[in-house]
Amino acid sequence: MTSNPPRPATWADRIPVIGGIALAVTWVGGRAVVGVESLPKGLRMAAALLPVAVFLVWVVGCVRSARRLDDELERRIQLEALAFAFPCAFALVMGLGLLELVVTLPKDDLSYRHVWALLPLFYLVGLTIARRRYT
Amino acid sequence: MNNRLRVLRAEREWSQAELAERLGVSRQTINSIETGRYDPSLPLAFGIARLFGLRIEDVFLDEASASPDGSTRRSEA
Repeated sequence: MTSNPPRPATWADRIPVIGGIALAVTWVGGRAVVGVESLPKGLRMAAALLPVAVFLVWVVGCVRSARRLDDELERRIQLEALAFAFPCAFALVMGLGLLELVVTLPKDDLSYRHVWALLPLFYLVGLTIARRRYT
Repeated sequence: MNNRLRVLRAEREWSQAELAERLGVSRQTINSIETGRYDPSLPLAFGIARLFGLRIEDVFLDEASASPDGSTRRSEA
């Protein structure tokens, strides 16, 4: 409860950041490999699925890291950051989906397929708002 | 919710970091409670009261039941 001193940070606490970077790297790398049509189809498929595997590891790491948060204010801040990020991404997907019914959005530019890449940005904005509120 | 945490801590000459360590929370949490930006959970509030050897209502002041002279009003049956 409240009588134990805060535990020191461990490498497990850094999994969300390390995993996020690994995910971005494998996605960029995978996308580059997928685009090379001269490569075997199997290799391109493996490159396309590699970020999914990293993603699964990242999700497990994030959940474990959240469970290890023993400071209740930090839990509140993280929750509010996610509560900001998720609806923002949802609203953007919904808005772009409706917009695509009217106009054709360029697939390599502003497409609902790329909203996921904005999620970390929304999360950081939510984190900043929550931290400013409580500190 | 108002509280007397800063006063109680100052009486014992504890820093925010020291109090945070005793309670097992971050210094940021102590600062936010003292400035009234964050209301602690019931377990943490009890932990704070226990640490100072006081009742929880001696540390945290219920604004809704506080009388104009600053004292707390007992609920009437």
